[in-house]
Amino acid sequence: MVSARYFDGKTAAAQAVSLSLDAQDIVLRSADFELRWPLQQVNISERLGNTPRLLNYAGGGHCEVTDHAALDAMLAQLGTRRSWLDGMQHSLAWALLAAGLFVLALLAAYRYLLPWGAEVIAMRLPESVLQKMGSSTLETLDKFVLQPSKLDMARQQQISAEFARLNAPSAAQLHYHIVFRSSPDIGANAFALPDGNIVLLDELVGLTKDDNEIIAVLAHERGHVERRHAMRMVLQSSVVGLVLAWYVGDVSSLLASAPAIIMQAKYSRDMESEADDYAGQTLKLNALSPCLLASILDKLEAAQLAKAAEKEHTASAGKTHEVMDYLSSHPATREREQLLCPSKSPQ
Amino acid sequence: MQMQQQQEHAFEFTGNGWEYFKIWIVNLLLSILTLGIYSAWAKVRRLQYFYRNTRLADASFDYHGTPKAILKGRIIAFIMLTVYSVTIRVNPLLGITIALMIAVVMPWLIVRSLRFKLYNSSYRGLRFAFAGSDAAAYTVFLLFPILSVVTLYLLMPFTHQRIKQYQHCNSQFGDTFFNFDAPVKSFYGIYLKVLGMFVGLAILAGIFSVAGLPFMLILLPVVFLFIMAYMAVSLPNLIWNATTLGEHTIHSNLKVRPYLWIGFTNLLGIVFTLGLFIPFATVRMLRYKLENMSLTAMGDLGKFVAGQAQATSAVGEETAEMFDVDISL
Repeated sequence: MVSARYFDGKTAAAQAVSLSLDAQDIVLRSADFELRWPLQQVNISERLGNTPRLLNYAGGGHCEVTDHAALDAMLAQLGTRRSWLDGMQHSLAWALLAAGLFVLALLAAYRYLLPWGAEVIAMRLPESVLQKMGSSTLETLDKFVLQPSKLDMARQQQISAEFARLNAPSAAQLHYHIVFRSSPDIGANAFALPDGNIVLLDELVGLTKDDNEIIAVLAHERGHVERRHAMRMVLQSSVVGLVLAWYVGDVSSLLASAPAIIMQAKYSRDMESEADDYAGQTLKLNALSPCLLASILDKLEAAQLAKAAEKEHTASAGKTHEVMDYLSSHPATREREQLLCPSKSPQ
Repeated sequence: MQMQQQQEHAFEFTGNGWEYFKIWIVNLLLSILTLGIYSAWAKVRRLQYFYRNTRLADASFDYHGTPKAILKGRIIAFIMLTVYSVTIRVNPLLGITIALMIAVVMPWLIVRSLRFKLYNSSYRGLRFAFAGSDAAAYTVFLLFPILSVVTLYLLMPFTHQRIKQYQHCNSQFGDTFFNFDAPVKSFYGIYLKVLGMFVGLAILAGIFSVAGLPFMLILLPVVFLFIMAYMAVSLPNLIWNATTLGEHTIHSNLKVRPYLWIGFTNLLGIVFTLGLFIPFATVRMLRYKLENMSLTAMGDLGKFVAGQAQATSAVGEETAEMFDVDISL
């Protein structure tokens, strides 16, 4: 006997009934009436947490049952088995397993799907978009961190000409141009803008006597452009920002994008290796040794570390932190040098 | 003649976070594994869990939407969305035309969506229904919003009142209609208060930009969240307290501070658990909302009689959802 509340579907009145089985029928009994519902015409709702279970009769009317144990006992007599989904939905073990798989799927999407998508899109972007991104980035940088180069014209032209002579492993997709600047704040560095402009800082030029080492860095930066790394980074971080914002609801995008940017570090490591690869190929193609890049990387790291130490000493905040973060996202320089120049014994 | 007996019934929510978490996560995983197809089944289960856990006067609500109907609606909506996003990329002009067409059919879709939603909801064995006409829907969902934009949102509170009036006055339980009698000026009252608070926020921002950044970064978001919570609380209170079903009255008594607390802790929970807190958050918020609602019954709640609502397809509902139109009642 299962106690239930019966509704006839015609009015909202509730009537207390008791349910029992009789052959192929469910029998509803109250003080005033008795109803017989053939089992085939009764849809018994699945278990869903602790919600009342509903017995819907095709001929109209339904019963609401809150006594789960009694109903389960009655259904057991019928030999009805709980579905696999029913079991899964109510088991802690399955819930934890599903939660684990869900987190894994999330991480996998972040690690593989997102970079893939960003690459697909970045490679198909029209040049005009890249131009616009490049020029606006350079404008911003010029306004805040970059200063005009102090190198004389002849020296600038010499470096540009050496770079222009370089044979590339694949047909160039963009027009490359070296933008000479200086920046005591950033120190020795060079970076590629999405439109093919490569910003070369005086501080880096002053770091080496061997122009081929400068060429090696430029080839590395060119690799970044060819593979659309800057564009991919922007796409990836804006997608992560969007997803987080959607996920979290209506938080300011600030809150959403901060973790996104921090998480980006892993990508730029992959990208650095890609650019190293590209530079290595370019150098070999031009009868230059990839060790040149390894050598300048070594000097760059030493210069940046010295700068960091000095900055820490003067305890100035702000821009330097970004530079440090940028540095920390490079794969261990030793590792990169080993890959580029295996003959050079590790220090 | 018999005296009408007045009785107060509180809404109850009997669900709990862990229980819903187990159902949610298993269904979410199945949805991911089936590339979203299973999500129609997940949606039905989610709504059934919430409806059946909502109790009033010792009886539950129920949801009757079928996964297949929802899946069909979703597929059609998905095709529309894909066609739209592809055309706008290939030919922006054609894309804009399609966007306009969608704007024009939206009121029609919203009516179907309301019909589907209400027809598939029941309480005590009687279905709800929506009887609003298309013509009126075009007035409140297209004409008034356009007017409100044209008048620089001066007509926005008016539009909001008309939308709710259209929705509630055309909703029925069994054959009994709901009624809605909140005056337009009460909507203006809330919107003006919110506007005033935003002006205050701007002044605060001005003062603190002088006093220093740390104050601004902490205090301003708090004030902003407070204003949002005020809106999220006072509008449903106004709307539900002005809604009646036959002779029975409905009451909502949400308060800003508990709402803000639940909303804020939910947000933190979701952020720090990669979303795994979502089911707990949903249950907490729903419980707070429902447990602060009640119905004052004049006489017997069992006296309602069934109506003749007809089933509708889920296309409107799913399309409206996919294009992010929120028509929560």
